[in-house]
Amino acid sequence: MAAGKAVTQLSRRLGAGAGSNFPGRVVLRLYPEAPEEMAASLAGGCVLVSGTNGKTTTSNLLAGMMRAGGMLPVHNRVGANLMTGITAALAQASDRKGIPRGDIGLFEVDEATLPAAVRRLRPRLVIVTNLFRDQLDRYGELESLARKMDAALKDLDGEAVVLLNADDPLVASLGRDCPARIYYYGIEYAGVAEAGLRHAADSKHCRECGSPLDFKANYFGHMGKYSCPGCGAARPPVDFAATHIELSGTRGSRVRLSTPRWQGELFLGLPGLYNVHNLLAASGCAQLLGLDREAVERGVEGYSTAFGRGERIPVGGRDLFLVLSKNPTGFNEVIRTLRGEGTGLPLLAALNDRIADGRDVSWIWDVDFEELAPLARYLVATGTRARDMALRMKYAGLHPSAIRVEPELKRALRAALEGADEGETVYALTTYTATLDLRRLLTRMKAAPGLWKEA
Amino acid sequence: MGTPELRICHLYPELMNIYGDRGNVIALAQRCRWRGYGVRVTPVSLGDGLDPTEHDLYFIGGGQDREQILVCEDLAREKGDALRQAVEDGAALLSICGGFQLLGDHFLTYTGEDLPGISLFDAKTAGGDARFIGNVAVESGLEGVEGVLVGFENHSGRTYLGSGCRPLGGVIRGYGNNGEDGQEGCVYRNAIGTYLHGSLLPKNPRLADWLILRALRRRHDLDELPRLDDSLEEAAHRAALELTLREKRRRGVSP
Ligand SMILES: [Zn+2]
Repeated sequence: MAAGKAVTQLSRRLGAGAGSNFPGRVVLRLYPEAPEEMAASLAGGCVLVSGTNGKTTTSNLLAGMMRAGGMLPVHNRVGANLMTGITAALAQASDRKGIPRGDIGLFEVDEATLPAAVRRLRPRLVIVTNLFRDQLDRYGELESLARKMDAALKDLDGEAVVLLNADDPLVASLGRDCPARIYYYGIEYAGVAEAGLRHAADSKHCRECGSPLDFKANYFGHMGKYSCPGCGAARPPVDFAATHIELSGTRGSRVRLSTPRWQGELFLGLPGLYNVHNLLAASGCAQLLGLDREAVERGVEGYSTAFGRGERIPVGGRDLFLVLSKNPTGFNEVIRTLRGEGTGLPLLAALNDRIADGRDVSWIWDVDFEELAPLARYLVATGTRARDMALRMKYAGLHPSAIRVEPELKRALRAALEGADEGETVYALTTYTATLDLRRLLTRMKAAPGLWKEA
Repeated sequence: MGTPELRICHLYPELMNIYGDRGNVIALAQRCRWRGYGVRVTPVSLGDGLDPTEHDLYFIGGGQDREQILVCEDLAREKGDALRQAVEDGAALLSICGGFQLLGDHFLTYTGEDLPGISLFDAKTAGGDARFIGNVAVESGLEGVEGVLVGFENHSGRTYLGSGCRPLGGVIRGYGNNGEDGQEGCVYRNAIGTYLHGSLLPKNPRLADWLILRALRRRHDLDELPRLDDSLEEAAHRAALELTLREKRRRGVSP
């Protein structure tokens, strides 16, 4: 345990606070074997959560369920999902001897980091939530990313378990030659399906034979019930299902869960169908780890909204509804949720193009803003690419007189709030780093609790 | 002749749409509607027939490798001849990235597959190992669109033009066709190929109008298009250009 001990002291000196990646980078440079050593001393092994969307919400839900079930998870910080962030999380949770104070690792893992994370942490369970194009500008094609993830899963032990989203054809195709046991989750409720695939749909073709897939039901993005007319491949039967869903706008959804061991209904205080998927992933994983129904229910009840993902903040006599919208599918789901909030809505949209957002903002043209424009009374566009956002809404049909460009966030927030009536809700749709900026601004304005609370 | 109507043919809309390429069709359609013109957008995909006299403007976006292979086979059947004929007859065409590559002579993928193109453009493309990714600024040489075009490129293919077509412009920032000769895109008659995503046309409205005017002129007596208020477009163009020029990046070097 020599490395672990040195690592803990080192990471204390480097400071746990600010940049989550910096201490991890130094530790890995000095003690390349540190993650292996520290992970091996977690009695309950490691769980990895990977995929494009929902990693944070899924692992936060899961962490709540683990704690309710008496486990003590070691959990990485929001967004710190490369080997450096995972290493830093392990080091910071470790005692002076380098033994992590926790009994199970729970790590969000960037899709491209999955092979390294599987090799080094030897996880007992891997969840893949979904694969969207949002990071294509970093990783190239979805297909080549899927091949890398296949190789990673092939590397698992025979006793390991993989939990996949059956509603995503690309994710469901993963793990073909994987020695681990595979389980699936998905939505089994036609009441939330829409007709036809959306423009933003990414995986429309059979991975086996290339034929266009037939979608009998489409939930959002390329999520749905599909089959291949070419080779007969189809969505696998699911082990963990949502059999009834009642969406109630931005407040959340009532979901009936069906699992191999129990069935029950619970209220999820997170909006949108994508969060139903996150609930299925977390509750499925909890059950596969041996947690009981009570732990799942208490985990969901005690869940305070994951940082920035749909949260209502009173500010200046108005309610600011803050929701992270970082890619076409996420945005389309948000717009779908907003359809339940009426028309004449005051909107604030913040579009940034920093590295964590993706430098390329052309994805906004894949979002169905044509459905948002008729809901809007006005839009204040802000962020590093404020003008691109404004232009997108103009071409979506919002009259230019209802569009205001305020690149500076504070002025934009003020303008958006001033346009709204007392007690009215202003909807803020923000990309990843813009969400951070807005939260920071609100904290300075004393409108919101701390920067973020880790569940 | 009555009110002009722009008949847009959107080729393979569900297969060839990456990095918001459909925004180009949205821009073309809206800029016609704002002028009181009619617009008809016809999606044409795998197995559909293509009548070269039925459309004024053709659009094809970029795609991923798998989609590109399907489209390549479909184009080789009969659509290729129809498209070439339409362009010879003066129809306008815009092709982006993967769509651009398939309209050349051939496309050699990095995995060694040789995809035959339809030879609408005198251009060849070979796959490279590193991707050219980033904001681009191009000095356009197109008459009526002189000035800078802005966009975002993301491609591993390297395209080289022959003598039968000319580049759309010269690269100011970014990689362009191949990262070597400083050329970006290609023009043949009223057909344009380019690597610029962005979407391209909303932030480069004069290029959009160049295509619309040429497309409509064949059936309507039009010298120029009524002007629109493009202040938001110009602001977005200026901001994107400033950002692109501010970035310290070497040109023509693999990332
Ligand atoms: Zn198939």
